[in-house]
This record gives sequence, C-alpha cells and structure tokens, in this order.
Amino acid sequence: MFIWDWLTGVLGYLGMPLSVCRGRFAILGLPNSGRHSLLKATSEEHLIDPVAYLETSEELSIGNMRFTTFDLGGHSQARRVWKDYFPAVDAIVFLVDASDRSRLSESRAELDALLTDEQLSACPVLVLGNKIDKPGAASEDELRNYFNLYGQTTGKGKVARSDIPGRPLELFMCSVLKRQGYGEGFRWLAQYID
Amino acid sequence: MTTYEEFIQQNEDRDGVRFTWNVWPSSRIEATRLVVPLGTLYQPIKERLDLPSIQYDPVLCTRPVCRAILNPLCQVDYRAKLWVCNFCFQRNPFPPQYAAISEQHQPAELIPMFSTIEYTITRAQCLPPIFLLVVDTCMDEEELGALKDSLQMSLSLLPPNALIGLITFGKMVQVHELGCEGCSKSYVFRGTKDLQPKQVQDMLGIGRPVPGQNPNQQRGPGGQPLPPANRFLQPVHKCDMSLTDLLGELQRDPWPVAPGKRPLRSTGVALAVATGLLEASYANTGARIMLFVGGPCSQGPGQVVTDDLRQPIRSHHDIHKDNAKHMKKATKHYDSLASRAAVNGHIVDIYSCALDQTGLLEMRQCCNSTGGHMVMGDSFNSSLFKQTFQRVFTKDPKGDLKMAFNATLEVKTSREIKVSGAIGPCVSHGVKGPSVGEQEVGLGGTCQWKFCSLTPSTTTALFFEVVNQHAAPIPQGGRGCIQFITQYQHSSGQRRIRVTTVARNWADASTSLHHVSAGFDQEAAAVLMSRMAVFRAESDDGPDVLRWVDRMLIRLCQKFGEYAKDDPNSFRLAENFSLYPQFMYHLRRSQFLQVFNNSPDETSFYRHMLMREDLTNSLIMVQPILYSYGFGGPPEPVLLDTSSIQPDRILLMDTFFQILIFHGETIAQWRKLKYQELPEYENFRQLLAAPVDDAAEILAGRFPAPRYIDTEQGGSQARFLLSKVNPSQTHNNMYAYGAGMPMPSGESGAPVLTDDVSLQVFMEHLKKLAVSSTA
Repeated sequence: MFIWDWLTGVLGYLGMPLSVCRGRFAILGLPNSGRHSLLKATSEEHLIDPVAYLETSEELSIGNMRFTTFDLGGHSQARRVWKDYFPAVDAIVFLVDASDRSRLSESRAELDALLTDEQLSACPVLVLGNKIDKPGAASEDELRNYFNLYGQTTGKGKVARSDIPGRPLELFMCSVLKRQGYGEGFRWLAQYID
Repeated sequence: MTTYEEFIQQNEDRDGVRFTWNVWPSSRIEATRLVVPLGTLYQPIKERLDLPSIQYDPVLCTRPVCRAILNPLCQVDYRAKLWVCNFCFQRNPFPPQYAAISEQHQPAELIPMFSTIEYTITRAQCLPPIFLLVVDTCMDEEELGALKDSLQMSLSLLPPNALIGLITFGKMVQVHELGCEGCSKSYVFRGTKDLQPKQVQDMLGIGRPVPGQNPNQQRGPGGQPLPPANRFLQPVHKCDMSLTDLLGELQRDPWPVAPGKRPLRSTGVALAVATGLLEASYANTGARIMLFVGGPCSQGPGQVVTDDLRQPIRSHHDIHKDNAKHMKKATKHYDSLASRAAVNGHIVDIYSCALDQTGLLEMRQCCNSTGGHMVMGDSFNSSLFKQTFQRVFTKDPKGDLKMAFNATLEVKTSREIKVSGAIGPCVSHGVKGPSVGEQEVGLGGTCQWKFCSLTPSTTTALFFEVVNQHAAPIPQGGRGCIQFITQYQHSSGQRRIRVTTVARNWADASTSLHHVSAGFDQEAAAVLMSRMAVFRAESDDGPDVLRWVDRMLIRLCQKFGEYAKDDPNSFRLAENFSLYPQFMYHLRRSQFLQVFNNSPDETSFYRHMLMREDLTNSLIMVQPILYSYGFGGPPEPVLLDTSSIQPDRILLMDTFFQILIFHGETIAQWRKLKYQELPEYENFRQLLAAPVDDAAEILAGRFPAPRYIDTEQGGSQARFLLSKVNPSQTHNNMYAYGAGMPMPSGESGAPVLTDDVSLQVFMEHLKKLAVSSTA
C-alpha cells in the first residue's frame, strides 16, 4: 500500500484543490484500452482486479477528488448502452489504446459518435491516450491528428469555462500501468465539474 | 479396510450426504468445541439410476410423534414380525402384507444397500406440471426476436400434458387467454397498481368458486369440473399451435419512450399477477413461473429505479451509504411474492438478460425461497442464455424432465442429536417436533422445509446439534441416526417419497479427540462454512463476516493443529485438515464476500448459485481449478498461483461461472504468427486444441452455461485469471526486491498488480495466531 499512498500524497501535494471535488464520470473505451486498469489504479479501497460483467459503478478518488465512475463495457454490443448513461454523468473519460494502431479507426468512430451526440454537447470530454509505455505507441501529435482534435481541444491549463465556446475537450497521454499522466487529465477535468 | 476418504465418497454416491464430521462427539459441550458445526450437505433427489422402483407406501413407526420410516438400521424380529424403530425404540408390528418376510426374504427397504430408497405413491393423483411464462416486451427487436425463438422452441420440450400460460408486460400487464379459437383475448392490468391477491382473482374471474353458486362453470368430458383457470392455462398439446402464433406475433411494448428515459416496465405487477393467478387456481400443486426480463422494473410496486436515465441504478456503494432509494420497498414487495409462491409450492425462475442491472438484488428471494433458477446474461441472443434455457428442460433416460416440484424435506434424528437449521433454496415449514434443536443456524426452529423445486444437483446444508450431556455417556458402540424424508411431485406427475437413513458412530471427544478428528471432511466443512458466511453476509456488513471467517479458522487451527506454544514453525495440520485454510483464504477473496467492482445484481447471482449447488461445484466456485497444458506431457492440475503462469503454457481455469483459456506469452505469439496452420507444427495445433476440447466438455454439462473466455498474457480479459490466482508475486514484492517494473515473462511466472495478501503471508499469519498463547 505504501507506494500508492506515496503516489496519492504526491498528487495531493502537486497543487490538487484541497476542497473535495465530486463528479460522476463515464469511463468509455474499446476493449483492452485500459478501462479496468484505470479503475484498478484509482480505486482507493483496494487494488484488486475488476471482474464485473455488468456495468459497474464505483466511488474512486485521485488526490482530493472523489468521483463516481461508470465503467461501461467496450464490446460493440455494450456500446449501445453508453448513451443510457449520458444523462447521468458530468463528464466523459474516453480511453484510447495508443499502442494498438489496428483499432485506432474504430476508436475514432466511437469518439466521433460521442462528440456529435446531442445529449453530450455541453459535457466535458477527457481523452486519455493510454499505454505510452509500450514501444511503438502513437505520440500525442499523431493522436491529435488522427482524431481530428486540432482546433477542437480547449487547452490544458486553467481555462475558464466561460471562455470556452463549446464543451471542454482535451487529450492527455498516459500510462495507467506506470501510473503516469492520467492524474493531470483528471485534474484538468476537475475544474469543469461544479 | 476402507479409508475415510473412500467411506466419504461411497456415502456421497449412495446417499447424497457429506458430513463435516463422520464420527460424532458424544456430548453437547464437546460438539461446540469442534468449531466447525456438525452438519451435512444433502442432495434430496440425487440421480440414482440403480434405485429399484417401489410401488407401495412406506411403513411408518406407529408412535404418533415419531412416524419414522422403516429402514435397514431397524432391528427386525422375523419370527414375531416386529420391527424396532431406530429413532424412538418403539416396537412396531409389520402390516399384514409383510406376513411373508423372513431373513431370506426381505423387502428392499431392509436391505443395507438401500439406505436410500424411493417409493412411488400410486394412489395419489397424478398432476401435470404447470409453466407460466411472464415475458418482458420492453426490448429492442433483436432481443425480443431471440427470446421469442427460444420460447417457441421450449414448447416442444415440455411434456404434452403440461399446462402452460402466458403473461406479457411493459407499461401494462397482459394476461393472455389461450382457450379461444381464431381471436386473441387478453386481460390488461395497469402496471402501477399494487393489487391484492383477491383483486387479481376477481379481475381474472378465477376466484375459488363457492359450490353451487357457479352454474356456468365449464365441465369437461364426464361431467368433471375443469380447473377454474383453464382459460389462461392450457395443456401444451391443445394450444401449442395457437401459442406459437401468439408468441410469434408479440410486439415490442408500444408505449413511446422519450429521450433520456427508460421504458416503463412493470415487472413487479406482472409477477404479482402471475403469483395471484397460480395461487387462486393451483395452490399446492407444482408450477413454474418463468420470468424473462430485459431491464429494471421502473414503475409501480417492485420498482427498483425511476424511468429517468439521470438516475442510475443503485450500486454497492449507494447501498452502503444508505442511498438506494427504492431498494427496501422493492425488496419487500418481491419478498412477499416469494413467500406466497413458496407456500403454494410454486417456483419463480428469473432469466435476466441485459447489459445493465435488472434488479436481481431486490428480486432474489423469489428464486432463493422457491428454488427457482436465476440466470444472468448479456443478451437473449447469446449462446449463454439459449443453452442455459434449453438445459432447464433436460430429460432423464425415461424422457421425464429432470425437475421435481412442491417437495417437503423432513429430518428425523436420534434422541441425542437435533436439527438446528437448513441453508439452501428452501423455506421453513415451521413444524416443531422432537427432532428440532434449540439453536438456530440458517432457517431453524423446524424439522420440515419446503423445496418448491428440486433438480438432481440441488443440495441443501443441514446443521445439527448434539444434545447429550457430558454426564450421560453414550454406551460404547452406540450410533446416532438421521433420516431424511423427501416427498415430492415427480415431473411425470407421480407423488414420490425418497428416504435416506444414515448412522455415524459416537466418540468421546474429551478422551479420544483423534477418533473425531480423523472423520473430519474438510471439503464438506469448507462448503458448509461458505454457506454460513454467505448467509451472514446477506444481513451483516462485509468486514464482520470476514472477521467471523477468520476467527473460526484460527480456532479450528488452535484446536486441531499440532504445535508447541508460541512457535509458529512447529505448526502442523493433519492431512485431512491441510487444505481447509486454503479454501478459507480463497473464500475471503471470492466474489461471495468481496463486493468491490461487482454490481449488487452480480453478487446476488453468485450467492444464489453457491446456496444450491453440490459439493464439487461449490468447491470450484470457492477455489477455482487450474489446468496447465504444455508440450512436456498431458495436462496437469496446477496451483492456483501466479507461478503457474508461464510463457510456454496454456492454462484452463474453471471458476464454475467462467471457463477461461489463457495463452502464455510465447504461445500467444506463435498463435498470432499462425504456426498452428503449418503442417510441420501439427503438435502446436494439437496443443491449442486440447484445452478448447476440455472446455467444451465442461461447458456441455454445466447449468447455467458459464461464460467462455479466450485470452492471453497481457490481454484485457486476463484480469479474470489474475483476480483468482494467489498473488505469490505482486508488484509490491517485486519492487521490494529492487526488480523495478514487473516483467511479464521469465521463469518465475507473472506478477500480479494487487495489494491482496498472498496465501503464504496469510498462512504465516494464521500460524502465528494459532500458536499464540495470548490469542
């Protein structure tokens, strides 16, 4: 447990807001994109392997942020229920396996569908390019290019919600396995959760 | 001389019993000190193709409070034609038809090999089984289409004389009339109204008719009054054509669903109407309500969530925080339906197929109290559902469905021992008798339990207490006896009585503990303790249950381990105890007691299965089986441990709920390169095929059909394997040895990213606590 304590400690130290932030996120992504690993890495109670089949919801925390996540299945059939959860969430976390180029186009199609969904027109979207620890993983530029995110993303720093015309959208690269990168993403997201 | 192992196996094969202790301690105080209670797993209608067909009534002890059944353990005086009851020692004359018996000419029930025997009561009325389909129509076309196909198929699997009925529901509940030709008629109920049983009867016009007041009642051939509900329940051979058409024409629920909304689904009212219909027309007759749901109940009584998608269905976290708004009320609704159905001998099956939860948590008592099936799948179009549903109608070699209805299990005991309760898919009959003990474990305070449904694999746990006082020793060589009497309605309609009579030796545990401990059955003990733990978990908080499991394990080790005080290294357990701590370790980690990252519905489903399966299957659920396949030799069972994960090996894991094939890193690479398609790598092709064939064999025999997972090192689905193996190597101890990031390859197996303690650490700790003089 010690390493994890240290990690959360550092996250808290690195300028996380001290007030507790609460939000409800849907964690989406194709199978094998790292949704379960992300849940596992952020679960505060216990590091165990998530083994649920149905959609599960869990209370998680990173640093001082607490949130409820809905881990929605990634296979094509399960993707049909994604939309049932849109009314219930404050933000979407979309995971992409940056190392699996053969499925990037499928990922892009799903992300495009999300971004054009009317119900989500004001919903913040965090795209996480996962598995950058793997050799040959796509770079941030490459993903931006591939997913047509240039000009759409709204900036990684502190950008006030009122300055953003549409929805907050940003891409962060991360390695869930090495526990790197997603903390920044979530911190970015936290500023848009009331 | 047979070993205990052989003795235990023979007894299970012959009588369907597995006792935790096969030598019984002769006093109450010694029995409580054994830590693991005296108890047994019992399969009331275990498949026994070699049983003789006996077409007469059993002979009962004449003492009114006893009424035990004549059995091979009774003393018989062949000259005086008397038998002595082995429970109450009453001397009973044989009935006149036994006049011809002699030592050479014994009736079957006196022959020792028939300690389990089955009587068919020929004078009882034969009743056809009843099936009432209750079908959710709030699904998309594909789902509903697949479900309709399965239902139409099932009509051909039912016995032709079986009665069948159909209720469909969405926003409204429709009870379909099957008797009419040419047109379809149905009675419609609103899905929001909590209907009293009487109201349902009145609206359907099926209330119990007062004699002479109902001149219009239909009469069958021969002037016999037909059962009142026959407009809704028809024999399959009469209505299968029209019902096939009716099912074929079923439409999706026509009520529009606004964006951001769930369909309005009236599962609660539909089930209430189904229960009311059967209750009024076929009380105390075997019947099966088969409920098919594709989503949660979103209105009326039994509602588990609103129709607003902004409110997701409750999670364990919500329940823990007392934030699950509808749960208590809905649970109460379904619990009351469950007890009404159980009283009448009616079964409720729930087939739930959806990607989200459907409310199995709230509805669970409907299945658990009535012995009905609970099936959880993603889709009605999945092979998991289709195969499972087909297996509900499995037939025995005589062509009868392998299901029994409306059963009562009664337990009779010697005077030194009493029954303290049952944990299984049953309800208490609340019958007091001389066999009932003071303690209560599970459903106690009775010597009779109702099992609305039995299948050959249905297994109940029964718990006993020794009531003999220490000051009143049992004479040397004395034996304690237990008789199990199961009366049930066979699927052919016959009334049958299965009787099992068993006896075990007494031993004074204060002077000869080794006799008692030698008869310990660690597998039975593990399953019984698992059931007790899960029974507690249904009402208690998670940590309390884990603490109870730990405490019991430590006390057992203190009592039966061999050790020098305060020296953990000296700790030893006898062979027939040695696996027990491992079972408890895996039980603590299992989905039965750990709810993190499982939905409440899944937890309910897993627990439901553990409470009814036989010993072998229950053990697999608690501690999955792992086989390893390699080029070196035939497949071998290996430790459920990270060290078993090797790059050049294929693993087959059976958790009862899942069959998982895991390809090691090297094997996975070769498979990707398609070596198996090259003729020179024929042996590789065979290696790949071997676990698949074995998996298919397991899949074929299991109910419900398990999930089948094919994965490899690093694959997303490999988490199902990693969550089960003992984490002897984890990222934690890898870091500790300065090895940096876990390397997913190498001779030492694959480390698992987890904070769970490993079995080794657990055992060390256990030894320390067991030998401690202060604990």
